[in-house]
Amino acid sequence: MHIPDGYLSPQTYIPLYGISLGFWALALRNIKKELSTRHIPYLAMAAAFSFLIQMFNIPVPGGTTGHAVGAGIIAVLLGPWTSVAAVSMVLVIQAIVFGDGGITALGANCFNMAVAMPFVSYLTFKLINRGSKNGRRLYIAAFLSGYAGLSIAAMLTAVELGIQPLIASAPDGRPLYAPYPLSVTVPAMALGHFLLLSIVEGTMTVLLFKYFLKHEPGLIHAIKET
Amino acid sequence: MENKIPAFLLEEPPPEIRSRPARRASKSSFIDRGLKHVAGVINTGYIQWETASQGGFLQGLDARVKVIFLAFFILIVSLKRELHAEAAIGVFIFLLAAASHISLPAFYRRVFFFGFFFGFLVALPSSLNSVTRGEIVLPLVTLSKPYDFWIYHIPRQIGITREGLFGVAMLTLRIVNSVSLSFLILYTTPFTEIIKALKILKIPDTVLMMLTLSYKYIFIFAKTVEEMHLAKRSRLAGGASSSEGRRWIAGRITFIFRKTRLRCEEVFKAMLGRGFSDSVRLYGSGRLTATDRLSCTLFIFTGILFLFM
Repeated sequence: MHIPDGYLSPQTYIPLYGISLGFWALALRNIKKELSTRHIPYLAMAAAFSFLIQMFNIPVPGGTTGHAVGAGIIAVLLGPWTSVAAVSMVLVIQAIVFGDGGITALGANCFNMAVAMPFVSYLTFKLINRGSKNGRRLYIAAFLSGYAGLSIAAMLTAVELGIQPLIASAPDGRPLYAPYPLSVTVPAMALGHFLLLSIVEGTMTVLLFKYFLKHEPGLIHAIKET
Repeated sequence: MENKIPAFLLEEPPPEIRSRPARRASKSSFIDRGLKHVAGVINTGYIQWETASQGGFLQGLDARVKVIFLAFFILIVSLKRELHAEAAIGVFIFLLAAASHISLPAFYRRVFFFGFFFGFLVALPSSLNSVTRGEIVLPLVTLSKPYDFWIYHIPRQIGITREGLFGVAMLTLRIVNSVSLSFLILYTTPFTEIIKALKILKIPDTVLMMLTLSYKYIFIFAKTVEEMHLAKRSRLAGGASSSEGRRWIAGRITFIFRKTRLRCEEVFKAMLGRGFSDSVRLYGSGRLTATDRLSCTLFIFTGILFLFM
């Protein structure tokens, strides 16, 4: 899911940096409005929390493993704007310190995982939950929020990679950036995520949600608002 | 001198006992693998601090010069469309790494790992003519006829094309260069210096505070999880199933989240106690030295040279 440097052409990563910058500015404004400076350690903790979630590869049927991103559960727990800021921090640290995801691709990675994913997850949760405070409906909403969030993020990644042969090839057809067309990237990402990794994300979201609902229901932002 | 070791300790263990650990070792639990990853994160942090403090060319430069160098060269690497230009940038990075007294085998082991998996292996199938059309230089399979399936076309002869090979080499080289640039700056600059440079480059204070605290929390969390897992293993007789493992991870992550949330107030009080007043203040970020200015000019000149290569 983390796009490395070299896969995206400047005509893709520069506009995506612009979009992500806009969302970062909005997130900062929202956070400053809603939270005081004393909550900054709290936001940092949410970022570290997302980082930790990404480190655990969970076994899935078929002998392979996958990891969750955590943007969905953070959006449900702390609100979508907090999730934008926290997951962006994680992606910045991963790119700079651990070489996970590229520096030129940072705008694209943040757009997919730190902007689109939290909002899709949060809206899915609200849409399915419809004000319910307990019961099976809540768990289904939590699972689907994680599932839909990661699936949309994966599809956006597939489109960004798949358009490269169309917009950035040499005149003789040589691929200059990501070499696979949409007809390869979209099915590959769809299969891997719809059938596997999004289920892992959904499961992780519902497991964590269950614990928070049991021990600290007052903390859950998506329930508090209704 | 006579051997006093009891005879039973000198006996060779029976073959079935010796072979067991080898079979089991290959099947470690997913929690153990996750924990290995956690330990790797902690190690990376320590290695970074150690290397960043060693005397070398890049270690002696101001962080501002290095951050600008990184941004400029990453951009050049992404813009270049010729193999020889990418190769020349690779040689330049190698010379900088050598001048900075970085352990080259360890540095390039990490760089080539990324280059091989995220560049070469991922891109290799695209060298086939079914993905990248062009002149076949290595025929692999000849079918009885071409096949068309939905939007896909499988040609009669399948092989590796010259254009496809160029794409694989270009992507691999670009990834190797980008990763080595990031690691080069990381291995020669402490994280606090990077933050200082970002502050001077007008990144908002809130972002810098979040970045610094997130970075510290990651290491604290990683250490806490590692210790919790060791404590659990020391109390566990026999193995645990995958579902138990999943429940344990969810429980521990929630526990850490709750524990740290309670600690946030204490952290903020500690920040206030140390004189925190809503903004990031810099100490010791003086003017650029003559060496910094000279190096900056050298980087800009070299960069422009690569751009027109």
